[in-house]
Amino acid sequence: MRRMLSFALVLVFCLALGGAALAADTIKIGHTVSLTGGASMWGQSEKLALDLLIKKINAQGGVLGKKLELISYDNRNDAVEAVNVARRLVNDGVVAVIGPAQSGNSIATAPVLENAKIPMVVTTATNPYVTIDKRTGKVRPFAFRPCFIDPFQGTVAAKFAYRDLKARTAAILYDVGSDYGQWLAKYFEEAFTKEGGKVVAKEAFRSEELDYRAQLGKMRPLNPDVIFIPTSQKEAAMAAKQARDLGIKARLMGTDNWGSPDLIELGGEAINGGYFVNLTDLADPAIKNFVAEYRKAYGADPVLPNPVMAQDALLMIVDAIKRTKSTDGTKIAAALATTKNLQVTSGPLTIDPKTHDPLDKPAVIQKVDVATKSFPFVKKFYPGGK
Amino acid sequence: MFLQTVVTGLSIGGIYALMAVGYSLVFSVLSFSNFAHGAVIMLGAYIGLGLVTKLHFGLGLVVSGAMAGAGLIAIVNEKLAYSLLRKRKAPSLYIMISAMGCAVFLENMVYATIGSRFYAFPAFFKQSVLCLFNGTCNIALLDLFAFGISILAILGLHLFLIHTRTGIAIRAGVSDMTMCSLMGVNLDRLISIVFFLAGIFGGAAGVFLGIKYLVYPTMGWVTNKAYIAAVIGGLGSLPGALLGGLILGVLETFVSTYVSSVMRDVFSFGLLIALLVWRPNGLFGRDTGEKV
Repeated sequence: MRRMLSFALVLVFCLALGGAALAADTIKIGHTVSLTGGASMWGQSEKLALDLLIKKINAQGGVLGKKLELISYDNRNDAVEAVNVARRLVNDGVVAVIGPAQSGNSIATAPVLENAKIPMVVTTATNPYVTIDKRTGKVRPFAFRPCFIDPFQGTVAAKFAYRDLKARTAAILYDVGSDYGQWLAKYFEEAFTKEGGKVVAKEAFRSEELDYRAQLGKMRPLNPDVIFIPTSQKEAAMAAKQARDLGIKARLMGTDNWGSPDLIELGGEAINGGYFVNLTDLADPAIKNFVAEYRKAYGADPVLPNPVMAQDALLMIVDAIKRTKSTDGTKIAAALATTKNLQVTSGPLTIDPKTHDPLDKPAVIQKVDVATKSFPFVKKFYPGGK
Repeated sequence: MFLQTVVTGLSIGGIYALMAVGYSLVFSVLSFSNFAHGAVIMLGAYIGLGLVTKLHFGLGLVVSGAMAGAGLIAIVNEKLAYSLLRKRKAPSLYIMISAMGCAVFLENMVYATIGSRFYAFPAFFKQSVLCLFNGTCNIALLDLFAFGISILAILGLHLFLIHTRTGIAIRAGVSDMTMCSLMGVNLDRLISIVFFLAGIFGGAAGVFLGIKYLVYPTMGWVTNKAYIAAVIGGLGSLPGALLGGLILGVLETFVSTYVSSVMRDVFSFGLLIALLVWRPNGLFGRDTGEKV
């Protein structure tokens, strides 16, 4: 009996080895993404966009003569789960990882992939410390991104509020439990003050909290021109409703996390006329072809900006593999750092080797229009521009 | 600003109180904390949402439908998950763990069947805000409505417990379960009624929470605050649940307005610990051996 068992074990082991040998004919790209949880709407769309692009690349002969294979695991938008997913991807032998989409999860994932010497290209994680190690102040050699970063996003929001909306006083409502919100609040405050405006109130709430009336009630007598709310669409919608309940008439402003199709459904009339900063826009001519392809394949609009950013990330990785002619993580990372004038889905892309952030990604301002249930394009800001 | 703070605090506290009643009712009879109550509240909100979006019911019918639905869910929950444990005389700690399991189970059921997206109720009131004192103090009509319903419901429950035969049986069960069954009370039926009542309150709280905020699978975890309110008031006491809810709501609002919104939970929970050190059974609690 025992002998038979060991024979069976050997057999299974051989089969497994054979399977691994067969699988080595593909280049595995890892993908850590929220397929469930609060961010699943973007995550699902992100995966669909990647599937679409991989099919296209493989139809054109793949990369280095091999087919690409996408391995997507659900990180449930949770930092602990994101670390587990990263470990699994390392065990699966991926050559590079796309994602996560959120700054907190990305900061948790970065050290795991760095130890394994596998490069990661996050999709929409905009916090500076995704690519820069906060302890040492040095750039993380294996972390990259195709999206703009929060100091730029916060500055754009502040400039737009001061110059275009002619706001002179602002209040900030942010989530003290999120890296994203905390830093954006800081960058907005700095930039708005520099422009000559005044931040009259800066109030925080804790993640998963639902009632902000105490914080908003404190802002009301100060009568700010705008209220900056760098949170997800869910909190922004609730804050908007509660602000209107308290009789606050200030204009509301947000960041790229607002850009979800259900913002209007959740916030209703209360969120109407608000503005937010985003990475891309459905009406952006640069992504016209992508949007058409996506619609044709899935019969729905992509949930921006994640699908576009994920495609950008994949194209960066493919380009790096082609240039190095290797699937070695360290070599790919070195090539990623010198990405220059690469044509990706959102337009041309050049990576700054000092920060691993893109040098030339613009930000768009969109308006919330409840009547047409859409986010019309308002204005585009370029980095370095006054 | 002072007046507005009081009004906001009371309206938050009213919802805490409505949720706290469910915890207190079950605890008073069975001496365990039913942590699945949060999930029942969440399901109540989904039932209400279904009634309004699919069947286009008005607010009254939506609230009553959600109350009935959540009440039934609470009974089923008790029959499936707790009654066998109870009959085998399992310690109440085990029933509480089972309740935590139920909460996670129900939440993930919703994830798997309905999905993780957020939903908002349509607006029920045309003119939604009431201005008082030249606009220095605003009250949302919904808050007023929810607050009124909370107080009326808790008062109604109080009268029910004092004046009806079933109410008297429940109170008898509270003081001595074994004796109560020896006197000919059908314990299983009694416990089902208690869970039904708790579920009814959960359903109403769920709909109000959903209208005020949003509906999504993990919304039930807000009830942690309600549970704390129930402990402040004294677990098992109805006036305690009401007062505990109001105190917590007003306290939180005052701390975030006059001290700091970042420090809010540090202050309010610091006070909670101090209160429990001073009165381990809460404000209206009875002397019970364990509180789990």
